[in-house]
Order: sequence, then structure tokens, then C-alpha cells
Amino acid sequence: MVMHPVLMIAIPLLSAFIMPLIKKAHRYFAFSILLLNTALSILLFAKVYNEGALYETIAGFSPPVGIYLAVDNLSALLAFLINIFATINFLTSRQDFRFSMLYLLGVAGATGIVLTGDIFNMFVFFEITAVASYALVASKKDRKATEGAIKYMILGSVGSVFMLVGIAIIYSQLKSLNLYDIAARISSMDPKMMWLSFSFLLTGIGVEAELFPLNGWVPDAYEGAESNISSFLSFGPSKASIYAIARLLIIFSMSRTYELALYLGIVTLLVGELAAFTQKNTKRMLAYSSIGQMGLILIAFSLMDKTSYAIPAAFFIIVSHASAKSALFLLSDKDGFGDMSSKYAGLAGVLSLIGMPPLAGFWGKWYLLMGVADEKIWAVAAIIIFSAVIEAIYFARYLYKNMEGKESSRNSIPAAVMVSISIVMGILPILYNMAGGVLNA
Amino acid sequence: MMWPEYVTVAALISIGLYGVMAKKNLMKIFIAISLMETGVNLLLITIGYIPEGTAPIENGNFVKYVDPLPQALVLTAIVIGLSVTALALTLLIRYHSKTGTLEYRRGMKW
Repeated sequence: MVMHPVLMIAIPLLSAFIMPLIKKAHRYFAFSILLLNTALSILLFAKVYNEGALYETIAGFSPPVGIYLAVDNLSALLAFLINIFATINFLTSRQDFRFSMLYLLGVAGATGIVLTGDIFNMFVFFEITAVASYALVASKKDRKATEGAIKYMILGSVGSVFMLVGIAIIYSQLKSLNLYDIAARISSMDPKMMWLSFSFLLTGIGVEAELFPLNGWVPDAYEGAESNISSFLSFGPSKASIYAIARLLIIFSMSRTYELALYLGIVTLLVGELAAFTQKNTKRMLAYSSIGQMGLILIAFSLMDKTSYAIPAAFFIIVSHASAKSALFLLSDKDGFGDMSSKYAGLAGVLSLIGMPPLAGFWGKWYLLMGVADEKIWAVAAIIIFSAVIEAIYFARYLYKNMEGKESSRNSIPAAVMVSISIVMGILPILYNMAGGVLNA
Repeated sequence: MMWPEYVTVAALISIGLYGVMAKKNLMKIFIAISLMETGVNLLLITIGYIPEGTAPIENGNFVKYVDPLPQALVLTAIVIGLSVTALALTLLIRYHSKTGTLEYRRGMKW
């Protein structure tokens, strides 16, 4: 079977621009494109799993000059997650063709970020995702959404400028934009320049990845946007960009950069969870809780050089957060879980997020704590457990408030399906055995 | 040594950053962001520039030419900047029609 990963970016990108021509059938068309993309991502994972990491050159220029895609197991799995959640989330859309268009652009960009092997290409995909997300947030035409989108846009644009400066510095030193080429020759760079470019890139990507000092837009944009768009933001751009940070850490791979990422992750975790604890508004609470979880993922990635538990930990937290938090955002358009499927989705989602066995969130925290225990950094372990306790308290409050509500969300069935993916991924025992071997490849 | 270019780059980016952080008017903030983008584009061009280099077009007397890659990057970056600015202006029109002002209100603080 010939499988080109570039199709997963090109097909949604192309069909996004066909959307205005087929206004009538836009929903069926977009949905079938997303389904096709999910199928392709499964084939891609199967191929990468059997044959090892895949490098595809585009337009016949060979690396390091040409742009190319680099796919390993983790990025194939993430592409699969982004696409399957995008497909399920799309079922809840009630917007017009412009939504479908922007949504496909966002999915294409997020898939591109995880699959690309070229740092400038990564920047372009970041911008595609970001511009689509600004417009999606603003697509609810009221004042709150507009303000949220403007704020997101200001921070996002400044972040993209910083990212470009970082790329420019790397290019000026190494005359290369290829991630593997950069990683191989990074040590020949002047350490000062290396730190400069690392900081610029981290600041730039950190805006999208919701890291602590750069996440002022998160609560406003998530609160202002339509609930299915908040859901998209929480599994699409943010997951893709945290993976981009992981790649950045691998490229620079100095113990000091990992340390910096660890501290940033801890601060993000604490700030997010404590802010979520004080929130009254449901969507703001979920948004701050997202920040906390992103911190947790960053902590997991920052232990990559030390322990083999780090990548499975990050992967399972990403699965749990992408499915459960997206489902909770979908349910957040009404206060209350009226019917059975939203009760199930809400309960299972919360249990996965706070880390109850045997859901995916539990395995994430379990692997993370194993990794931390291996390294004997007990302060970090204490912080993780402390934040889990805070999380449990405010989610208990959230459940209590919502279980009483009589109204139920219109999105309850897609939300239930999303949560079920988290449960399946948590329970599939094959995956435990696979996790170590597959994800560390 | 091409220090005037790098000083200009640093100045453009710093002025832009100052504008984003200090100005209250959203239009001025987006102008500041455009300044930063221009600064980065100039930085990329400067990195690829060689004194007395010709345009990288193959035409026989092809001896000393500037690095073409940064120029391609800048072209992409300009297009991206344009689209972001267009979207920003659209949003500002809507913001103005909802609030009657372009200043951001106090509730919008970071």
C-alpha cells in the first residue's frame, strides 16, 4: 500500500478551499474528508509501526535542501488522535460552510505540525492553524468572542514573530532548516546563539502551547468561543504545539534546556490548577485546567532524556486530555448533564482527567510518577500529587453542579464517543506493552 | 560588518514589542505587530545578503549571489503577515461596532 503522509496535509488543505464552491453539501463533504484523513492516519501508523520512522521528500528536492516530512511512531499516533477527534467533533457543528473551511484548515495545520521535518515548514503550519483558530474563535459574533479572538491574535502574532526570529538565528548559524540536520550539527553552534534561538522558539511556540507567562489568551478565547470550537482548540493546536516543543527539546537536547522545560512545566501546572480552583465560570475553569494539563505534559516531555517512562506518560496524558477535556468543552454549552450519555461522558471524562484507573489519564500520571521516582526528584512528585488533589476537588464541585442540572447539551453523543476513545486507549492491554516499545522508537 | 542592518532589526522589533505592551489602542497594537514582522523580515534578508551579491538567477555570469532561501522565507512570511493583518482589521471593525471604541476595556487585561 502506497501511503504518502503528505496527503494528510494536502487533502484537507485543498478541500478547505473547495468548500465555498459547494455550499450546499459542505457538511457531508468536510466530514468525509475528515474520515478519509483518519483512515490515512491509521494506515500511516501501521506503516511506521512496521517499517520504522518514515522520511518523505516533497517535490523531488532531497534534504537538507528540500522540505521533507519526518514521521515516527509518536507523531503518527498524534496525527491519528488529532484527526479522529476532529472527525467526532465535527459531528456537533451547526455552523455554515465558512466554519467547515476554517476547521479543515485548522486540522490540516495541526496535522502538518506533527508530521513536518522542517522548521520553517513547522512555522507555516503554525500560522495556518493559528489564523484558522483566530477566525474560528471569532466566528461567534458576540462581544466576548471578538475580544477573546483579538487577545489570542495579539499574543499569537507576537509569538509567531519570536518563532521566526529563532528560526532566523538557527539559519544564520547552520544554514539549514532541516530538523534532523540541525539536531546533528547543533553542537557546532555558538552556545550563546543556541540559547538565544532556543528561547525565541520556546516563547513563540509557548503561546500556542499555553505555557505559563504566555497563556493570557487561553481563558478568554475558550470562554468566548462556541463550545465545539473550544473543544477543537483543546485537542488540535495545543496538542500539536506541545509536540513541537518536544521536538525542539530533542533538537537542542542539552540538560539545561530540559531543566528549563521542567521548571516551566511545574509553574504552568501550578498556576493552571490553582487558577482553575478559584473559577466560578465552567468554561474558564476548564480552560485553566487545560493550562494545568499542558504543564503536566511539558513536565513529562522534559524528562525525556532521563527516563524511558517520559514519552508514554506524555502520550497518555495527551490522549486523556484531548479526549476528556474536549468532551467536557462540548458539554459546556449547557449547565447540566440531563441525559444518560452526557452523564456518562461527564463522569468518565472527569475520572480520566483526575487520573482514576484504568482510564488513560491514570496511565499518564502513573508513568509520569514512575519516571519521577526513577529520577528520585521527589519535589516534582509531590507537586504532581498536590495538583492532582486540587484537580479532584474542583472537578468534584463541577460534577456536583452539573449532575443536578436538568438541561442537557446537544453535543452529548459525540462527547460520549470521545470519552470512549480515552477509555478504550486506557484499557487496551496491548497498548501497555506497546507503549514502552512503540513510543520510544 | 553589517551592523546598521542589525541595529535596525533590533530597533524595529523592540519598538514593536513596546507598542504591543504599552499601547491601549488596538489599532496601534496591530501596527506595532506589523513593525515587528517587518523587523524579522529584514533580519532574514540580512542573513542571506552578501555585499555586492547579485540576484540568485542563473544567467551565465553567475559568480557571487545572495542566498535565495531567506528570500523565499520572507516571501512566505510577508503573505502570512498580510493575512494576519487582514483578519485583525476585520476583527477590529467588529470590535468597534460592538463597543464603539478601539481601546480595550479594563476587563481585557492580561
